[in-house]
Amino acid sequence: MTCDEARLLIGADPATSTPELEEHVRGCPACARFRTEMRSLDADIHRAMQEPPQVVRPAARAMAPAWRQWAMAAGAALATFLVLSLWVLRPSDTLAQDVVRHVQGEPESWMATRQVSAGELQSALQNAGVALNVTSDQVVYAQSCWFRGHYVPHLVVQTAQGPVTVMILRHDRVRSRRNFSEDGMSGIIVPAEHGSIAVLARDNGAVAQVAAQMNQDMRWMPEPAQPPPPSPH
Amino acid sequence: MRNTEPQSPVSSISERLRAPDPRDPTTQLFESLRPDLLRFAQWLARDRALAEDIVQEALLRAWRSRDALKDPGAARPWLLTIVRREHARLYERKRLELVSLDEAGELPATASTDTGDDLFALRHAIMRLPIEYREPLVLQVLGGFSTEEIARELSLTPTAVLTRLFRARNKLRALCGMAPAPDTTAGERPA
Repeated sequence: MTCDEARLLIGADPATSTPELEEHVRGCPACARFRTEMRSLDADIHRAMQEPPQVVRPAARAMAPAWRQWAMAAGAALATFLVLSLWVLRPSDTLAQDVVRHVQGEPESWMATRQVSAGELQSALQNAGVALNVTSDQVVYAQSCWFRGHYVPHLVVQTAQGPVTVMILRHDRVRSRRNFSEDGMSGIIVPAEHGSIAVLARDNGAVAQVAAQMNQDMRWMPEPAQPPPPSPH
Repeated sequence: MRNTEPQSPVSSISERLRAPDPRDPTTQLFESLRPDLLRFAQWLARDRALAEDIVQEALLRAWRSRDALKDPGAARPWLLTIVRREHARLYERKRLELVSLDEAGELPATASTDTGDDLFALRHAIMRLPIEYREPLVLQVLGGFSTEEIARELSLTPTAVLTRLFRARNKLRALCGMAPAPDTTAGERPA
């Protein structure tokens, strides 16, 4: 049995056990580790699926304007509280700091309201060699930005909780997902198939959900040749 | 037509089939499995009201065919299979208006612990799996079906089922901060 065959069996059913698989795992520490991780993940999947998904229909949300006003007021109060409380939670992570600095350098990105065209989105993504199925998402900002020596897609997605920044960092790998907070912004960096994805929002935006969505909807392609870096002004 | 309130199979069957005895062991057996069926249908349909319709129709079909159930111990997989087929049938027949998960969101989790957040994100990711990956995963995890049983139910080869289950978990694995395993499966093109 090869490692590919073993991982297919383990990935399809982490609890599975056959004599051939056991023999392979005994002699292959990498596959043994893979199985341990997949069994842990599978336990979480079982736990997650015990509770059925509860989807909020958009129509139901639209029927409560009074409620929304209160929610906005509460959100503003919460934002104020978070700005104060997160002041001390400064990120120790350099990558997170760089992401925050970059977003702060493009403040207009969170003021955009017009949905970008497919061409604009494609233009922002192509230098990083990624494609994104975001046909129904509200992408209101899409740029290819020079960041840490590479052009990276910098997107802003409108969500019910406000604008959320997404940066696709093909050349910045992280081992595990990490949350960070700084200057009234909260964010998350999650590993991706290639590199990582940073998601950042003001106060307590839906960063985890957006990161999960992006990881699902992203397709990685061979990285194209990079254009030259921008000339300094 | 969508139900406005959940109905028990007992009341529905009573209304539509002239009141079988609610003390009937088969009725009670079906009723006891209703929460499992509803959860299963919700993971397939991603919509509670639609799931209730599916379960209701499935229970009605099951009741009409109850003589085919020889072993009450096999009722759960039998009913789950009927629910899955009813879900597939409903989508084929009505081409239902889908809830866009980009516009709709999951209700916030009550717990805000790290574990709660992780499960929330994982639940969201499972919901967003394409149906060709979500369906075998739901059949396996919630239904307890084997690869061969899923293959029969979905009219796939066992290898195709393994591939879909592998890819489903691999996508979820990436979400949870672990490096995805290289996808060397050749049976199907990655979605």
